[in-house]
Amino acid sequence: MQFVCTKNLHHNIILVLSLCVLFAPAPSWADSSTNYITSLQQGAIEQELWREQEWINFLHYDVLDKNNDEYLSQVDDDRFFNAPDGKTNSKAELLDTLSAFFQTEINDDTHAQCRFVARLEWLSKKLEIDKNRLPIKNCAAYKEWREQVNADHVTMVFPAYHLNSPSSMFGHTLLRMDKKFGENKSEWLSYAVNFGAETNTDDNSLFYAFKGLAGGYPGVFIVTPYFKKIQEYNRIENRDIWEYPLNLTAEETHRMLEHLWELKEMNFDYFFFDENCSYRLLELLEVARPGIELTDDFSLTAIPVDTVRAIERAHLIKSVEYRPSQATELQHLIDDMSDEEQEITLDLAEDITISESDRFKNLPPEKQYLITDAAYKYIRYQQTGQERDPAQAKHSYELLKQINIYPKTEPREYSVPTAPEVSHESRRFSVSAGERLKLAYAELSYKFSFHDLEDNEHGFLRGAQINLGNIQVRSNRKGTKIHQFDLVDIFSITPRTDFFKPLSWRVYTGLERQPTGLEDQLVAHVTGGAGVSYELWQDSQVYALAILRLEHNNDMNNSIEPGAGLLTGLLHHFGTSTAHIELSGEQFKDDIYRVRSSYKHNFVISTNHSLKLTARREWHSSIRFSEIALSYQYYF
Amino acid sequence: MKKTIMSIALLGLSSSAMAEAPGGPGCGWGNLLFDGQAGFAPHFLATTTNGTSGNATFGMTTGTNGCSVDGKLTYGGKSLLGSIMGEFSEDVARGEGEALNAVAVMYGVEQQDRAAFAAAMHSNFNSLFPSEDVTADEVMASMNEIMKADARLAKYVA
Repeated sequence: MQFVCTKNLHHNIILVLSLCVLFAPAPSWADSSTNYITSLQQGAIEQELWREQEWINFLHYDVLDKNNDEYLSQVDDDRFFNAPDGKTNSKAELLDTLSAFFQTEINDDTHAQCRFVARLEWLSKKLEIDKNRLPIKNCAAYKEWREQVNADHVTMVFPAYHLNSPSSMFGHTLLRMDKKFGENKSEWLSYAVNFGAETNTDDNSLFYAFKGLAGGYPGVFIVTPYFKKIQEYNRIENRDIWEYPLNLTAEETHRMLEHLWELKEMNFDYFFFDENCSYRLLELLEVARPGIELTDDFSLTAIPVDTVRAIERAHLIKSVEYRPSQATELQHLIDDMSDEEQEITLDLAEDITISESDRFKNLPPEKQYLITDAAYKYIRYQQTGQERDPAQAKHSYELLKQINIYPKTEPREYSVPTAPEVSHESRRFSVSAGERLKLAYAELSYKFSFHDLEDNEHGFLRGAQINLGNIQVRSNRKGTKIHQFDLVDIFSITPRTDFFKPLSWRVYTGLERQPTGLEDQLVAHVTGGAGVSYELWQDSQVYALAILRLEHNNDMNNSIEPGAGLLTGLLHHFGTSTAHIELSGEQFKDDIYRVRSSYKHNFVISTNHSLKLTARREWHSSIRFSEIALSYQYYF
Repeated sequence: MKKTIMSIALLGLSSSAMAEAPGGPGCGWGNLLFDGQAGFAPHFLATTTNGTSGNATFGMTTGTNGCSVDGKLTYGGKSLLGSIMGEFSEDVARGEGEALNAVAVMYGVEQQDRAAFAAAMHSNFNSLFPSEDVTADEVMASMNEIMKADARLAKYVA
């Protein structure tokens, strides 16, 4: 208050004095600490620090209107703010944070000085705060945590796509805080920083999906040893992991950790699509390196791989590392084996005495080693996620003893597939011309995300179709109409082998046109099915699924008409093009049937451009017709 | 950090407290081989949400999990060995790997002695893992003995 008073003394002593009396807490009138706080606050006001990007980043403010100081923090937790209206008032929050630093009633780790370490560091620099005047000399909990989670560089980690759970279809990102002795290959001991929803264990997966999309769960930052993430992704889920060491300096890394501490146990609203795991990590990077802008592109959605591309565009990535999953490693071992060797592997995984048999002993030691290793990996793969089975534990142990007989090995090198960030972009726009039901048409279509079976497969999981929000609008001489709208279309084709026995499945719902009666009309449907897939020859996938369908169609008897059918097809990946032949049919309760055949061929021009040819022939109860179309597809 | 971990590991080991099993229930010292994923039972939900249910952790050694963390190869408040014993046993069997290296780092084994550490573990697989029912604290006790008997490694457990 002193500063304000002296400054204005010349002009209107009485008014200013009365103002001072009104606003200054009476008992601390002469308190030098209060005066110091006031002078700091005045300095902050003069510099307009609450409008600075660093401060806005620390508080996770959305700037609604900078000129009128309208802010809204994405942190949904009162403990995060020092001002009562700190969630919306950046200026009040800054001024109250300054006074909170000098509060003397609290003298432990719950003091603002120990909780808001990044804010304190930044404000100290900006306002040249005399740290000797701060009441707390030692923040024990923070200090201990920083000794534990000690790092001077950061790696972005991307566990690849995994179709069997809703949130991992799009992949995931986390940060790894690497220690100073990282060059000694101790990444296992680094800490992983993960932003995720804190869920209720009673909620099932479907309910999760709904609640997650709607923001029903609070999101929190979780810090765990990285080896737990390796176990979780590489082993339990069998997802390959991509690691991107970043070029953050030690100072930038420290700033990120200071801020991360401020976010300990803080609740954010968690939205699956936009303010998700990936988005929050970008915010941490923005705090680490003031001035970079990473989150602007993600106002609507933050698909993890797009955030990897964003940090690449911001020149943060130093290199790319690949960590194959347990299943990938096993697959590589199997790929290098003859049929006979594969058979011995499977037998050895059943019965340890095979290692005493002649057909095993006659093999050269290197082969014996590979087979034993593969048999061991296979058992562990099968046991993943299961309760410990004493018989399998014994068998695994005996195989390890067998492995131990062979000389010490060198680390195995695995071939590295195309990295996910060099794949085609996530959204797609296409223009088509074609003819259907003997009517020529032009079509525009937009796909919100993400990947079709026929799209350029580089960087994606082969045989994984993940589409959300695809809309096709067509014009013909009768007018312009929505032709199709796919809300969700997930198709997982994973070939079965002697070792792996996955199910192939599809879930598909939306609107599509069906000429069931006299008119070609929009019907709503939910279609799902499961079946099997095989790789008959290299780069091919053949599949057959049993399908159930519910359809709302004005030309059918029931408002929701059930049907059952088959879905079969063959995909072949030629490298720069993919061919897909499909034959499907369904029979409805209402004596209506449909048989559809299609041939699609997608020619990749470059990563984000392709040409697609589609030909169909359909046989319905009431009509038979053909369709042919050529599309240009642009991914962005 | 390296220094801290080294001193922690050394401190823990020099107290020759092998008779008493460290930690408490849930710390992972009693984990059996191939048991490492036991804690992942409610895993499915956790991964569908990229998140966590229940005790969110923040990488603290002293937490609410009731573990006594007197520094013996503990990480994130739990026994490192108990958490990665499956992977560690594989690496010991093969004679190389990141789990083996992580344990060496936690022991404070210097870069130039890591190969000796790996070789010593590799050639002593049978005494480290006498059966599939060995527990993490038993493995650590054996590891201690093996290192004591090795000219290059004895200094890390002295």
